Amino acid sequence: MLLRFGRIRTAMPTGVPKSLTAAGHKATSTQRPKAKGETDFEPRVLAFCCNWCSYAGADLAGTSRRQMPPNVRIIRVNCTGRVDPAFILDALSQGADGVLISGCHPGDCHYTSGNLKMKSRFVLLQKTLEEAGIEPDRIHLQWASAAEGDVFTEGITSMVERIKALGPNPARKD
Amino acid sequence: MTKRIAMAQLTSCWGCDQSLLDLHLGLLELLPELEIVYWPAVVDFKLKDLESMPDESIHIGLVEGSCRTEDDVRLLNIMRAKSKILVAWGVCSCYGGIHGLANQWDLDELVDRKFMKADTVTDPRLPSENVPPFVSNVQPNVDVVDFNIMLPGCPPTSKNTIEALSAILSGKPFDLPEKSVCDQCPKVKQDKHITKFHRTHEGRIDPNKCLLDQGYLCLGFATIGFCGAICPTVNSPCKGCFGPVLRVKDHGAKIISALGAIAEMTPEELKDSFPDPIGSFYFTDYAASYLSRMRNKARSKRK
Repeated sequence: MLLRFGRIRTAMPTGVPKSLTAAGHKATSTQRPKAKGETDFEPRVLAFCCNWCSYAGADLAGTSRRQMPPNVRIIRVNCTGRVDPAFILDALSQGADGVLISGCHPGDCHYTSGNLKMKSRFVLLQKTLEEAGIEPDRIHLQWASAAEGDVFTEGITSMVERIKALGPNPARKD
Repeated sequence: MTKRIAMAQLTSCWGCDQSLLDLHLGLLELLPELEIVYWPAVVDFKLKDLESMPDESIHIGLVEGSCRTEDDVRLLNIMRAKSKILVAWGVCSCYGGIHGLANQWDLDELVDRKFMKADTVTDPRLPSENVPPFVSNVQPNVDVVDFNIMLPGCPPTSKNTIEALSAILSGKPFDLPEKSVCDQCPKVKQDKHITKFHRTHEGRIDPNKCLLDQGYLCLGFATIGFCGAICPTVNSPCKGCFGPVLRVKDHGAKIISALGAIAEMTPEELKDSFPDPIGSFYFTDYAASYLSRMRNKARSKRK
């Protein structure tokens, strides 16, 4: 699989008055001034979301206008059980600063047990990362149902904070 | 017409040569068709003899071992230039081999541990004369130069090497098998209900049943079926020494993927079953793994 991480584009589309947002509200800059000592590091996080719970949860978070950092790119998979550990390692190797896997709560999996298989793979993969000298916290597994837009938002926010604390992926190309 | 053949050894145990010599009298059928022009393990040609040959003057070049020193890199490049068909002979050449596991540490840590802090060393010093400098990490040879044929194995069996050489001599294509070790293994496979993993010496192995079903970490499912399942046939679990199944990029990731699906254990129990996941899952191909490549990228960036 090919994953390409581009730079985040912050420019407004042309033809739109800069003072107005799509909803017609007066635009308030989302980029607050940086506090002292804060770096410019914006993590690039890849998220695998399962079709049945977390992807719908992400949708709900969006439609209910919950604020979350824009550092996450979501790839929809049918089930977290489909996420091969090689996908996660490939993403990290290509420069993702973190990889989040978000699936259904245990017992809620659309395919009965795909999320539990992911959990088993995840703990082994984390241990392998640790042994290889790569911070195991760069990968994270969370459960968020289709009704939990708030849990999803909270998961994304804390993931980005965690990666900001870890710093950039040392294997990332500049 | 005889074909000119060269066999070069980089950093390795030279086990691939031994495996070829295991053919004994079988070699006599092959030798009349070959003219050996370089093979330090057996005949007395020097590097300068190899260097003085015109480019692409060798029909078949076999490269064994991987690049741990700068001399290895030089020899590998010479072999590429002089050979028409270059064969990555053995798993070291294809995927970095066992010494690829050293990529978990930085070079200065390795040198310190080996030459300064080894338990049996009484007069610690770094060798400086008549030895080539180390390279910072082990890379699979296929990352350094292009190869025409991959022949994995630790070592490739005599039969593997003969098959490849015969194919080259007769001009036929040589392709690696699509199958896994399990496809070649004669043991009876059933539904998997693994509740505990055992070390190889623990318990009694039922010689008729699949070793993985019995809770021994047999990696045949993720390993290319090229050896004829010689280890599981004699009740020794497969360690994955022939490298991954065709087209699998990361051997260990596939093993983790399978274990997560088949083990009927809690994640914590599964995690505690493998104290050294890299050693268990990437026995001979760590240098070709995503993890090792990431560390290497980070290392070269630091410099």
